[in-house]
Amino acid sequence: MPTLTIDGRTLSVPGGTTVLRAALEAGIDIPHLCFHPAFAPEGSCRLCLVEIEGLPKLELACSTAVREGMKVRTETPAVRESRRRVLEFFLAEHPIDCPICDKAGECRLQDYYEEYGLTESAFREAKERRPKKVALGEKLLLDRERCVLCTRCVRFLREVTRTGELGVFERGSHSEIGILEGRPVATPYGGNLVDLCPVGAITDTTFRFRTRTWFLSARPSICPLCARGCSIVIDYHPGFPRRPGSAGVLRIRPRPDEAVNGFWICDLGRYGYLDLHRRRLSRLYWNRGGAEAGMSRDKVLALLGEKVRELAARGRSSRLGLIVTTDLTVEELRAVREGLLARLPGARLWFADPPAGEDDGFLLRAERTANRRGAAGLGFEIAPVDLAAVGNGLDLLLVFGSHLADAGPAESVGQALSAVRTKVLLSPVSTGLESLFDFVIPAALPSEKAGTFINADGLARPFEPALPLCGETWPEEEFIAALAAEISRGR
Amino acid sequence: MDSPTFARALGLAGGPSIEVYLEGGGYRAARKAFLEMTPAAVLDEVKKANLRGRGGAGFPAGLKWGFVPARTDKPKYLCVNADEGEPGTFKDRYILGHDPHLLIEGILIASYAVGIHQAFVYIRGEYERIARRLEAAVAEAYGRKILGPDVFGTGFALDLAVHRGAGSYICGEETALLESLEGKRGHPRLKPPFPAAVGLFGAPTVINNVETLANVPGIILHGADRFVGLGLPGDGGTRLFGVSGPVVRPGVYELPIGTSLREIIFTQAGGMLPGRKLKAVIPGGLSAPVLRADEIDLAMSCDALVCVESMLGSGGIIVIDDKSSMLDVLLRAVRFYAHESCGQCTPCRLGTQWLRKIVERLAAEGGKPDDIDELARLASGIKGRTLCPMGDAAAMPVLGIVQKFRSELEEAVCRP
Amino acid sequence: MSPVLSDGLRARIETLAARYPRPTAALLPALHLVQAEKGFIGPDAEMALAEIFGTTPLEVREVVTFYTMFRRGPVGRHLIQVCTNVSCALMGGERILDYLRRKLGVAVGETTPDGRFTLTTVECLGACETAPGLMVDFDHYGNLTEKRIDEILEGLD
Repeated sequence: MPTLTIDGRTLSVPGGTTVLRAALEAGIDIPHLCFHPAFAPEGSCRLCLVEIEGLPKLELACSTAVREGMKVRTETPAVRESRRRVLEFFLAEHPIDCPICDKAGECRLQDYYEEYGLTESAFREAKERRPKKVALGEKLLLDRERCVLCTRCVRFLREVTRTGELGVFERGSHSEIGILEGRPVATPYGGNLVDLCPVGAITDTTFRFRTRTWFLSARPSICPLCARGCSIVIDYHPGFPRRPGSAGVLRIRPRPDEAVNGFWICDLGRYGYLDLHRRRLSRLYWNRGGAEAGMSRDKVLALLGEKVRELAARGRSSRLGLIVTTDLTVEELRAVREGLLARLPGARLWFADPPAGEDDGFLLRAERTANRRGAAGLGFEIAPVDLAAVGNGLDLLLVFGSHLADAGPAESVGQALSAVRTKVLLSPVSTGLESLFDFVIPAALPSEKAGTFINADGLARPFEPALPLCGETWPEEEFIAALAAEISRGR
Repeated sequence: MDSPTFARALGLAGGPSIEVYLEGGGYRAARKAFLEMTPAAVLDEVKKANLRGRGGAGFPAGLKWGFVPARTDKPKYLCVNADEGEPGTFKDRYILGHDPHLLIEGILIASYAVGIHQAFVYIRGEYERIARRLEAAVAEAYGRKILGPDVFGTGFALDLAVHRGAGSYICGEETALLESLEGKRGHPRLKPPFPAAVGLFGAPTVINNVETLANVPGIILHGADRFVGLGLPGDGGTRLFGVSGPVVRPGVYELPIGTSLREIIFTQAGGMLPGRKLKAVIPGGLSAPVLRADEIDLAMSCDALVCVESMLGSGGIIVIDDKSSMLDVLLRAVRFYAHESCGQCTPCRLGTQWLRKIVERLAAEGGKPDDIDELARLASGIKGRTLCPMGDAAAMPVLGIVQKFRSELEEAVCRP
Repeated sequence: MSPVLSDGLRARIETLAARYPRPTAALLPALHLVQAEKGFIGPDAEMALAEIFGTTPLEVREVVTFYTMFRRGPVGRHLIQVCTNVSCALMGGERILDYLRRKLGVAVGETTPDGRFTLTTVECLGACETAPGLMVDFDHYGNLTEKRIDEILEGLD
């Protein structure tokens, strides 16, 4: 473990560590663009040149291994001058797009040129004009004027996804990043390129021009769309006072997590929120003769409590059914058992989950719910929905989650439900079955509540609420507790 | 000079066939090395000879060979740098075309000294015709079992292949050469590690210039002392100086290291063409900072050129006359480096383009003294900050011309 | 449909590849062979070579576009490359280029209407002692004068 000093601070690092990694770990930000912790050093941006005592020239921090007793200085006048000179070259052909560039506010180049006082370009020649909307993939656009040829995108597709859709063509100042015609970036990890790009060269069409980054509030959360439970950041726009409906999630991106997802998330997790938010249920209502009528929580509880008591009184508790999902958190599933099942002896319990997909060999797991292992760990037998049993002898059915439609063909599900006297749905999103239920209660998305998933590897994935509750959302745990109290009250 | 090393290359003796070569005493040095000397002894002799690289960097060949680990479970390779892209340089072409066996013999001896069994000649793509001649010579050597599995019956195997480049000056930089030889874009690599440790396909590799290796047979045959005596103590032997520009006899001249530049231009090359006066000299290929006409009383050796803040480089002497415009020379230079930049690193990729744009504007529309200052400022911004030496190579001609011909540039540029 | 690369060409590539520690080193020589046979390297050749070398067509194109000698489209029957570097410029290279532009009636980068000549410029060809110089295909011509150029062009088909 060699020891070195950086700007007077002494650090001890594992052998083979580079000066840059050692510095970053100690919270010393040596400017860099082409370096990314996921890849081997590239050494092409030339921003990370630092002074190492005893060496005549400035050396690259990204590719110089730490040696015992090394003395590094990152803020000498010579080092700062070097950075200024290198930055000047970056800025020479860089378009002054900041006012319209998505990356503004989270752009390393912008940060550096502000810090080094280079807002006035010395370049007085005609700038190179290049294509600004090259389609790289379904949701990816490349602006070749902004590209600084750090090659992070190329290296990601070669070293991480091994799909190699991007390359560097031509040479010198004509160098350009591109695809082969007809072979766009198709990897299900393409969205990571937008995060990787240190400037606004690669942009995401789902995010383009939708906001300025400084309006966004970054909230940590866990992706609920498969059993990996990747760490994510939800970028939430709190909305403008005079623009109704302007609040909302505008972007999901990965949160570095060495144990689970490294630096990446898959596109399912990145873009899944678009579909979820489009289908979001937000009204608490009951279906009264084909029309949706608003309903209060108290009324729902009162009605349900009455039904439950009625069934108990007639000794027909077994005609009560609960359908849950392994999308529910550990805490919610526990509440189902202790709050409801404990008070409803004989009640039937099934799990409605989406069908398994393909494990992609990287992050996306075959199980497309977040907490199957959590459910199993709690001792639940994860029995799939028995539609025949549902349609043959249930007076009251409580359905949690949005996957009942996967329990069977549409007519069978419809038929089974129509045989149940009273049906309640607690789902965060629309599933097309709402009209078949008596009461529709908007449940919370994982981003709106606190809880824990246990991922497929047995790792706990706890999360806190990242977003405010949407509309009349009734978080599942609260509903269960209230219903449990209501049931107990009557006894 | 009498008994020049490069008589055949210079067309002063015989032709390139192996028969002629053998008749004139060819491959005796290689035989001596293989049959009478140990590899270590060969290495020592080359070190003693102070044979400095003839490609441009002037790095001592023996020292470079010594960096290759003696014991390694990886194969070792020798790559001959025949990319000859430095403007003003054409000497390797003579060796390759007219004395290919001298080069092959040098390759043999180097391989023996370092324990290399596979060698490649990386020859620039434009030298297609010469590459064919070289290939023919290689085939002749194989035919005589001078190359192949059993060199001189010693059981030492050496395979040699000629590999053509495809138009890229940067592939003359040793690590870019390796990348190109591996079948990739010619992007220079970060150093360390150095090729002697991690080279072709990750294996220890020696890269030497054509002329460097062509000197090796003479060193082995006649000894290091004689070689040093031909030149200077720290810089042994003769060099092939190429002279181009408006002189009476442009061409290649084999002369002792330390010969004065004035002598080369005015005696060997016959001086200026009628009606022209000497204004400037680029002494070692375009990347070498320019000298004024009053600076040519200078010994042509690596160290002496460094002392005047230039370099011997490839020994390509470009003579510039008073009727030629330094602004035009500058324009050609910046266009060249911008065209040849590989594009990997920021200062070179963008800096060479920036320089080109400024000089093109100055040449087309004129400008202000500020513009000339800016050229120097940008060039010094590139210098020392690039991934490979081409950044310095691009910067130095600009700095040299601006520094020494400032008033001429200003006059050309600041037209009313 | 005939294959993109002839059997003979494939065989030659295979022989070349055997000379190297790894076959991928033969990509540049293979590209030269393909260009000699087909005049340029098109997308179908990129794909065929990618298959032979176990790489991707994209990586082949990365290589093709890096080197000035590789062409992605056809040129005239003869490619003329006029040196524009320092030594040739000092010895009247610009006049030579001008003469060719006028004589052929094309701009740099263009091909004559009869498809005979494509005129391009090139950096130092390593023949500075006979400046000004140019190459036609793989042959170098130096000590150029307008008369000499006329002779050279007349001697070509």
